[in-house]
Amino acid sequence: MPGTGASSSTSELRRVGELLWEIPATARADMRVPARVFADDELVAAIAADRALEQLENVATLPGIVEAALAMPDIHQGYGFPVGGVAAMALPDGVVSPGGVGYDINCGVRLLALPVAEPELGPRREALVHELSRAVPAGAGRRGALPLGGRELDAVLRDGPRALVAAGIGREEDLDRTESGGRLAEADPAAVSPRARERGAGQLGTMGAGNHFVELQRVDRLLDPETAAAFGLREGQVTVLIHSGSRGLGHQVCTDHVRAMDAAGARYGFELPDRQLACAPASSPEGRAYLAAMAAAANFAFANRHAIAHAVRGAVERVLGPAAAAGTRQVYDVAHNIAKVERHGGRELLVHRKGATRAFPGQPVFIPGSMGTASFVLAGEQGSLERSFGTTCHGAGRALSRTAARRRIGGAELRRRLEAQGIVVRCPSSAGLAEEAPFAYKDVERVVEVVERAGLARRVARLVPIGVVKG
Amino acid sequence: MEVELQAESEAGLFEAAVEAYAELAAAGGGGEPARRELALAGGDHALLLVDLLNELVFLAETEAFVPERLERLELSDDGLHATVAGRIGDPTHLVKAVTLNRLSLAEEGGAWHGRVVLDV
Repeated sequence: MPGTGASSSTSELRRVGELLWEIPATARADMRVPARVFADDELVAAIAADRALEQLENVATLPGIVEAALAMPDIHQGYGFPVGGVAAMALPDGVVSPGGVGYDINCGVRLLALPVAEPELGPRREALVHELSRAVPAGAGRRGALPLGGRELDAVLRDGPRALVAAGIGREEDLDRTESGGRLAEADPAAVSPRARERGAGQLGTMGAGNHFVELQRVDRLLDPETAAAFGLREGQVTVLIHSGSRGLGHQVCTDHVRAMDAAGARYGFELPDRQLACAPASSPEGRAYLAAMAAAANFAFANRHAIAHAVRGAVERVLGPAAAAGTRQVYDVAHNIAKVERHGGRELLVHRKGATRAFPGQPVFIPGSMGTASFVLAGEQGSLERSFGTTCHGAGRALSRTAARRRIGGAELRRRLEAQGIVVRCPSSAGLAEEAPFAYKDVERVVEVVERAGLARRVARLVPIGVVKG
Repeated sequence: MEVELQAESEAGLFEAAVEAYAELAAAGGGGEPARRELALAGGDHALLLVDLLNELVFLAETEAFVPERLERLELSDDGLHATVAGRIGDPTHLVKAVTLNRLSLAEEGGAWHGRVVLDV
């Protein structure tokens, strides 16, 4: 039944494929396209438990959106846009929305593979986790080991990790194993406000808080041995997964531009169901300003993970020796909060991915599980180009709020349980640890099984945690 | 994190919002007492509430300012002037941004109600 602009969400959700669900565009008068969700029966029940579907419907109302507002199986309620959402806008006049990228611009993951197997670590495992915790500043607002002056910050905003390599930090080869080479060419440092620069200047090389982490892992199982070998992974190998983003700088860029677009919305005649969806035509002055600042923040985030990887190699050298550090290779680095201009179906589109990962055919994708559970290495599949604008999921997806997680378990108890599983834990905040308890997330194994069965990406390797440094 | 606010007056609602943020930012006592004077422009009071809280997020991150209470508030059709009392300490940085998601501020039945969603 056609709606009136009010939320319809689950009442109109219907199955349109084995793993595809849809809320038709007729469900609400203001929807321009349908809302589609990739999920199985169990995940769709979990997804319906919060406001994520209502938010996805809201995304489907945005000017210029094409085909459908899409949700990955790890979708959950976010701010305005759901986390796990994909929205592609026709250029030049479809909108760009900072909320469609999120506050932590280019939050993403980078995987490093060490030239050692887990048994070779032996008693040095705990020492390595401890050294990682010393090498990578964790916790919100923490200042980093690489304070940047104005010119240095400009270089990072413009060139990303390339600027650090030029300064002798990290390796040239890492750039080739980073999405977009670690540099979005549209970046304009001048588009980043003084406030954003002030927040970011001292934070390069820091992890941040929340669900950010540096995790020491073991390659538990190869699910596609040929592709795993091509990615440089073998069973039993030790890996390090880094999850972080653009820190306070990215948050301020988002805050600045949501505010500017909220003010400009009336001028473009937009009526939005939620102010956090504030947007402007991508070709407008507001749209261009945001895209230039977003690209600069994305470059900062690539550089941040690059600097963290450099610190990880330093920790590896101190604990395992220079040969181990020299043999520590970057597998890849992918963003999961970003907007990019791409061609799909012969059209030039601006693809917003918020809590969703680009998964072009053959491209490595990393899906962190919750703390204490497995993570996955995937490879993008052709189906992603046909069904999801070249996108797959980004993680397990929250099932419980942080507050609800804290109510269910204390940090000290969770630490004991993780250590009983053989996972060494370092975390500056017990409350922060509890917020990331495994039961606060959906089942990552089920999430990756769904994206594989849906033809978006295939599983390559399963990684299990043996140590975690949490932000 | 969604914060629901209720007060007898609009100014009281702003005080309650600062108090809620102060509770989230406080990591313990100590630190030199400090005050910050804030001047914000705009006629949309819901947005001014968000802007005020975003100012506090910025001050926490850049100056380690831990707010304690809204000491003075002049709210007009053009903006606000406020004095926030607190100290220079070690804020938690739990709140990373204040969003416009489901933002509301209204008077109903003789009381003021507001809602802000915080990025934590």
